[in-house]
Amino acid sequence: MLKIENLHATVADKPILKGLSLSVNAGEIHAIMGPNGAGKSTLGYVLGGREGYEVTQGSVSFDGKDLLEMEADERAAAGLFLGFQYPVEIPGVSNVQFLRTALNAQRRARGEAELSAGDFLRLARAQGDALGVSMDMLKRPVNVGFSGGEKKRNEMVQVGIIQPRLAVLDETDSGLDIDALRVVADGINRIMRAPDKAVLLITHYQRLLDLVVPDFVHVLAGGRIVRSGGPELAHELEREGYAEIAA
Amino acid sequence: MTLLDLPSNRDEAWRWSDLSALPEIAARAPAGVVPEALPWIDCAEGPRLLFVDGCLDESRSDLGPVAIGPVEVDPEGHALARLAGRVGWSLRLGRDHAPSGPVQIVHLSTGGADHLAGEIVLDEDAQASIVESFVGEGWSNRLTRIRLARSARLMLARRVMASVGFVSFTDRATVGEGASLVATVLAAGGADTRIDGSILLTGEGAYAEAGGALLARGRQRHDANYVVRHEAPQGTSRQLWRSVADDRAICSVAARVEVARGAQKTDGEQSLKGLLLSRSAQVNAKPELEIFADDVKCAHGATVGELNRDALFYMASRGVPREEARALLTTAFVADAIERVGEEAVREAMHADAEAWFAKTPLPLGEREGPAAEGGGRVRA
Repeated sequence: MLKIENLHATVADKPILKGLSLSVNAGEIHAIMGPNGAGKSTLGYVLGGREGYEVTQGSVSFDGKDLLEMEADERAAAGLFLGFQYPVEIPGVSNVQFLRTALNAQRRARGEAELSAGDFLRLARAQGDALGVSMDMLKRPVNVGFSGGEKKRNEMVQVGIIQPRLAVLDETDSGLDIDALRVVADGINRIMRAPDKAVLLITHYQRLLDLVVPDFVHVLAGGRIVRSGGPELAHELEREGYAEIAA
Repeated sequence: MTLLDLPSNRDEAWRWSDLSALPEIAARAPAGVVPEALPWIDCAEGPRLLFVDGCLDESRSDLGPVAIGPVEVDPEGHALARLAGRVGWSLRLGRDHAPSGPVQIVHLSTGGADHLAGEIVLDEDAQASIVESFVGEGWSNRLTRIRLARSARLMLARRVMASVGFVSFTDRATVGEGASLVATVLAAGGADTRIDGSILLTGEGAYAEAGGALLARGRQRHDANYVVRHEAPQGTSRQLWRSVADDRAICSVAARVEVARGAQKTDGEQSLKGLLLSRSAQVNAKPELEIFADDVKCAHGATVGELNRDALFYMASRGVPREEARALLTTAFVADAIERVGEEAVREAMHADAEAWFAKTPLPLGEREGPAAEGGGRVRA
């Protein structure tokens, strides 16, 4: 589904990713772990298509198409979802309005019929209920006044509504207490654990990986994947620290 | 024809205005053709007045309590107000009276210059909602005198939708004890504007709002100048303006609050915000306070910025195309100015006007390089 080959990227002319290669197949959950400054968030933004993150070498294909040629919104319509470490607040735009606009733009781009207001509200209510996000919250401006945990749950509501093929979740576990972590993890398992979907979990800590058990764990250090393994690698990292492996 | 004696930019009160097109428009003969579609708002019963080039079109109007004739205005002291003359429409409501629905006035200009006065005089506890819509392509110039007696309430909304040309209007208002005036402007057409107002809060506990949203692109100019003067204690005033400028357009807002010596416990607030959609656009904000009382609360804020890039990327990452994201964020930026309009049908119409303006925004984003910046066909002057 996702094939990253020898990816080099710079931010403000500073090299961050230095030859990263990774393959993710449908039905798989991959975790990317690594120390601060390893390039984890940069990887997320490069995949998401953020301005200012420049790819200098290498390739990324998504379902056989050149991901790097697409605008950010086209990547979303193609089935990529980037979960933010710090979801953005948008005053004056309600969650409902935002998500309906987003979903219908994606559907238009894929040549599908748009959802009516009624159908969309039913979908939003169902996905919100599953994650403890009330209709009242969904009618409020995007993330404005939401706590850290509410923002992350709101990201998962978006995943539920948009139903992407590949979710790249950047530090989804940061700022969550253990109850909120469980709700978010349940969301990931329920929505994204499917034969035709895949997840790339970018995380600093192992605790999320106890709840969303990855099929593969990769260690990102110095802009490259320096080691890959199964779920046991996460425990090894937790025990021994990154210093040993990243050295 | 009126001899045009217009102020120059050297005059501080006119420094951001560009009146240079007015003599040429004034020399043109209006075509006088009334289009099929006029911007009537679909709402409950209410008087309707259509002015074509400043003259009432009786066949398309339903005056209700509105009269046409001499108007008690004092147009002196203002270069454009002076041109408006002393004849026009007049809404005088007796004690406790209210029209059956919003009074709709459409000002259609078919190419030349037209001048018209108006007057709104509400007796104690009377109330009215008035919406004026400006359409066409010439120069419409208006002067409106507003007098609100004790506890009277007036909602006054202006939609400036004229496709080209110039629209100017001047308000002279007095707000009596416990009375309330909410004046809102939306400039969402292609014409330049010059908007002036002075509101005197003459009675204790009077309330006044003056504000709106100014949307400009191309080489358009909007220029709003409001003075709110508190002359009695315990008055409240709000001036909330939102300016959006794209291309090489210029939006300017000068908002002034004056608090006279005896006007204790005045509560005044100004919020002037500007949004630049292009690096070559300009927003001027001039908030002014002049306070001669010692027990008052006056807050003012002025900011000018660009669309939030984090928000743009966040929306794009959810699949919202760039132009749609810009429109959504810009609509949100002006929404709270339009939200001040109390009459729901009018408010909804104004939101729709603003959205229609954004929908016409051509695709390329000025500062953006590369393939995404091509196509769309915007001609940059």
